Amino acid sequence: MTSSRLLYRAPTRIALLLLALASQVISGCAMQPPQAFEKGNLAKREMTLGSDPLEDAFNQHVYFSKEAASGGTGVGGGGCGCN
Amino acid sequence: MLVEVAVAATDHDNDKLSPPALTVGSITLAALALPGLIGVAHADGAPTEGVISVKLQSYDDRQPGLDRIRVIAPSLYVLAPVASNWALEASLVHNDISGASPRWHSAISGASHMSDHRTAGTARVTRYFDRISVGFGGAFSEERDYRSRAASADVRWSTPDNNTTLYLGTGLTRDDINPVNGVVENEHKRSNEFMVGATQAWTRNDLVQFNVGHVVASGYFNDPYKLVDKRPRERVQTTALARWNHHIEGLGVTVRSSYRFYRDSFGIRAHTATVEGVHPLGERFTLTPSLRYYTQGKADFYYDPVYDPAIGEPYPPGRPRLSSSDHRLSAFGAITVGAKLEWRIDSRWSADFKYERYEQRSNWRLGGNGSPGLARLRADILQIGFSRRF
Repeated sequence: MTSSRLLYRAPTRIALLLLALASQVISGCAMQPPQAFEKGNLAKREMTLGSDPLEDAFNQHVYFSKEAASGGTGVGGGGCGCN
Repeated sequence: MLVEVAVAATDHDNDKLSPPALTVGSITLAALALPGLIGVAHADGAPTEGVISVKLQSYDDRQPGLDRIRVIAPSLYVLAPVASNWALEASLVHNDISGASPRWHSAISGASHMSDHRTAGTARVTRYFDRISVGFGGAFSEERDYRSRAASADVRWSTPDNNTTLYLGTGLTRDDINPVNGVVENEHKRSNEFMVGATQAWTRNDLVQFNVGHVVASGYFNDPYKLVDKRPRERVQTTALARWNHHIEGLGVTVRSSYRFYRDSFGIRAHTATVEGVHPLGERFTLTPSLRYYTQGKADFYYDPVYDPAIGEPYPPGRPRLSSSDHRLSAFGAITVGAKLEWRIDSRWSADFKYERYEQRSNWRLGGNGSPGLARLRADILQIGFSRRF
């Protein structure tokens, strides 16, 4: 297989990998909302959605300036002339 | 968007080295002057500790044989609890930008070279009630040729068991555009945003979130520095975002993943998937490798690098009413691979370093049929930061 064909297939393989990963975890996760005393793991910093605002902002700025799609995580961030 | 799960009524770790965000609790952190960055957070208690963070960030991209854009960005973030039911947040970033952007497709000319500065900031105040929090925010961004002002308001409501939080947010953005080449003067862009979301503590180890956003914008969308760029004066965007954090108890590893669907009235459809794993290395370090895949279709009015046979570059055949050679509106895929190392220095201080490699290629579009004739783009993204609780 040529290197160009490998590159062609790279995103498809990544997409399939992510899909398989998600399917595997979801299949074992029926909804069982935790009691208050069971939330120790949920309280960990790494479980936070958006735990590093400066990092998130910079990455979103980069992607906003290089790709057509944006948003999805909140409202009111304002615009810039980079796109 | 930042969401802390409803953990206010829970036991935090007893670890004295707990990093800042753990004790930040359920507050909105992400209020930064970028599109879609004011976050959806949780509605339970106000923060009891403040956080101050600084970072130095850089972005450096290139296409084959040519260095393009370089950005150096120092940034600052502060969160401060006020009284017992209020929180104030503010951020400030300055960008030094230099390099060159294509004037059409992948073409770089001498006239493309530029340098610019951008200063942007946000401020946000949140009032916490029993099960509801209400936030108001403002943002600005100043460049030599572009000024943006934004305002937002949001409400969050948590169920009595703190396992579910609903979110409703709205925002307004007003941009003024005065390009230095004088192609247009005093142009404007107006955006109205709406978003609804829900966050659910799915199990003791799973946190999921789903948001739907809608943006209606009108005004000047052309790139004034590109030759032959005529875009519609209205743009409607819709996003659907799902995020899922899963903690693996046996390994102590946390896997964070997300998927976003995007569509707009330009005819673009895009998919974004991310996954990263937070691996503890002893008591003080964590290593977080990450992978992101992005794919988009082209805008209806994007034209491939096939030019009018009589006039030549950069004009498209037939001189259509709407047209753009902006490669960001073409069909392509992109992959980001990176890793972040965090060091919890003590109970107050932490430091982090992150490197990412970003690359765009036409044939990385999902399915492979990307836009032809475009040079690939590579970028290095570096971030180093320090944070302190107070």
